[in-house]
Amino acid sequence: MAAALTLDGIGKRYGEFQAVRDLSFSVERGTICGFLGPNGAGKTSTLRMILGLQPQTEGRLEILGAPDGRKVRDRIGFLPEERGLYKKMTPIDAIAFFGALKGLPTGEGKRRARAMLKDQGLEHAQTKKMKELSKGMAQKVQLIASVVHGPEFVILDEPFSGLDPVNQQGLEAMIRGLAANGSTVLFSTHVMQHAERLCDKVVLLARGRKAFEGTVDEAKATTRRFLELEGEIAEDAAKALPGVVAVETLRTEGAVRVLKAQLAPGGRGQDALKAAFLGGLDVRRFELREPTLHDAFIGLTGDDPDQDQTVRRETVSEAAR
Amino acid sequence: MNRTLLIARREFAAYAKTVGFWLSLLAFPMFAVLGGAIPILMRTSEPVRAVVLVEEGPGAQGLAGSVRDALRADAERRAENARRAQEQAAKATGMPKEAVAAAEKQGGGLSASLNRQRLRIVDTPAALASAAPGEAQTEAARDLLTADVERDQRIDSIVFLTRDATGKPSARVWTRRATDDTVEDFVRDALKTTNRREVFEGAGIDGAVVTDTERFRPEVTAFSPQSVSGGEVSFRDRLPTIIGLASAFILWSLIITGASILLNSVMEEKSNKILEVLLSSASATEILTGKVLGVALLTLTVMLVWVGIGAAGLIGTRPDWAADVASVITEGGMIWYFVAYAVGGYLMYAVLFAAIGAFCETPRDAQTLMGPIMMILVIPIIVVQMALRTPDAPLVKIMSWIPFFTPFLMPARAPADPPPVEVFGTMAGMFATALLMVWIAGRAFRAGALSDVKLSWKTFGHAIRSGGR
Repeated sequence: MAAALTLDGIGKRYGEFQAVRDLSFSVERGTICGFLGPNGAGKTSTLRMILGLQPQTEGRLEILGAPDGRKVRDRIGFLPEERGLYKKMTPIDAIAFFGALKGLPTGEGKRRARAMLKDQGLEHAQTKKMKELSKGMAQKVQLIASVVHGPEFVILDEPFSGLDPVNQQGLEAMIRGLAANGSTVLFSTHVMQHAERLCDKVVLLARGRKAFEGTVDEAKATTRRFLELEGEIAEDAAKALPGVVAVETLRTEGAVRVLKAQLAPGGRGQDALKAAFLGGLDVRRFELREPTLHDAFIGLTGDDPDQDQTVRRETVSEAAR
Repeated sequence: MNRTLLIARREFAAYAKTVGFWLSLLAFPMFAVLGGAIPILMRTSEPVRAVVLVEEGPGAQGLAGSVRDALRADAERRAENARRAQEQAAKATGMPKEAVAAAEKQGGGLSASLNRQRLRIVDTPAALASAAPGEAQTEAARDLLTADVERDQRIDSIVFLTRDATGKPSARVWTRRATDDTVEDFVRDALKTTNRREVFEGAGIDGAVVTDTERFRPEVTAFSPQSVSGGEVSFRDRLPTIIGLASAFILWSLIITGASILLNSVMEEKSNKILEVLLSSASATEILTGKVLGVALLTLTVMLVWVGIGAAGLIGTRPDWAADVASVITEGGMIWYFVAYAVGGYLMYAVLFAAIGAFCETPRDAQTLMGPIMMILVIPIIVVQMALRTPDAPLVKIMSWIPFFTPFLMPARAPADPPPVEVFGTMAGMFATALLMVWIAGRAFRAGALSDVKLSWKTFGHAIRSGGR
């Protein structure tokens, strides 16, 4: 499958601060790629380089066959992390205006805007002013504005932030719809569940470096399955169970511990549990857990994706200035 | 439609479609009219003060008569002013004098009203006349001035006329309101005239001769070889100077208004996070150009409306002046001065303000840079007045060469026909600076649009150097 986007060793430096370093990955046409990492990991800087809003300080990139996003601006749709539209405009006018900037005739833009708003259940909001819409509605309108011209490549920066679960579900459906229509979607997020549900491929980023590139299953495979045990159980006793390679105490309440027993590749949880019961261990609760993308991220980077890395970066950034 | 024009159209429509824009647009001519009307209203609504004259002692005898004479002379002068105003109105409109007088009467007698007297002498009330001089009389005056009576029976002022130790006329003026000095001023002038007449009469000069001499107003006529007729200087000859001054002020006002609209517009887009979306759809140059163009169209609209209202008002009231103004603007080439300086000046300031706006989300953020810029912008307004009287003064010449002041000072100097080297030199300097500003602002705009650093001279300078790289 041909790549719609290829990054080859790109980096971004702000003064003394290296925000992104030696980043290489590719996104195949018609796929959904999740660009994952905590806030401040360098996702927005990378997306801005792809769009040509900021030049990279190292490496090279190619998007839709062009060396710079600015050269294929009309074929790209972009939803920035911090969103906003002209407050006094109606959704129809706003969508048509941004479509027109991408080369879509205003009349056609308005026609498509009406149809897309109707699809999203926003028919009633067509003639209202943007400032009268709820945050969820406005976010949908902005997403429509970024894809109304039918882009080949769609870049969404943290599209789910600030949305309630119902709207998040609606947005997931929209993203699937874009891919189904042949668009390539690259979206950044620090919430792993969305990526797990949506992505054909994920790229994990931590502290400006790529930590992983591959499918969700491949990412999960980097982390072992584990058995969670609760009871008055000594760590050593748990470690002696068959198939268990490491034990970690997650929390303690008096003599009761919650232990995370990592299983060896191919290790069966049932065997470990059977041995625990036969051995007379005080097992009051147990759970055999498959690793999530979140676990994989922590395993791969040592960072928690929910942890903000922005503070550290801004401090360094300020010092660099 | 290309992106620049799309952005320009949106920028124009965003303001032109609002009621606030049209209200603020009409505010200037409205205030101009009010500025002229309010003093007239104040003068016509000013009450006629009732004044009592009291001569203190035999030495003061005749002083009340002098004040009455002064009041009579003042009434004659005001009647003459009203008559002249009617004559001018008849001349301007081409109507017969009788018709103007009738129209004046029908309209409430504006010129007569403007020229009516501000005080009238009334008889001395019995309470005051019967009071013994000194403390009792003062007490009676206090009572009369604080009495709560109908307006037509009210006394506003009591003037005690006397003579000082040297025999010179003097007065104590009691007034109902401590801040009202109308009667005080009038009595001072009247007594001054009385003293002058007495001094001259004491020197053997007839009082009638003194009065006639004081009434004399010499006819002074200005001539200049530069006048249209080659001799006498007329209103038409002074018109270019007036238009030069008006051009400087209108340009200053329009440029600052346009640049401020642009600053606010960019700030709004920055705070609403729209700039980043725009940058993904158009280049920084296209955005900046589109916005500058859109606001230029707004500014042009404002100018056309102002000029239209002014022209309609002038044609309606003084068609002869309107014709003169038209000839000065078109024949003297002043319109080209105006257009060139408007374009250069607007470009210089608009792009600078837009670049500053790209760093700011609130007006407070912009204060660091806007404060000093606005202070500098006051300078040409002060110098432009000097430029009208002495367009060749060294200070004016030097200031004209400073590109940021050129668009305001050169139109004001234009009627004096400055040397071509100065006209073309300052214009070249202004346009070169405007282009430099476009380059600087383009780099700062690109950097500011995606930046979240606090605006300061240091960060602004850094942004210009880096150009958003």
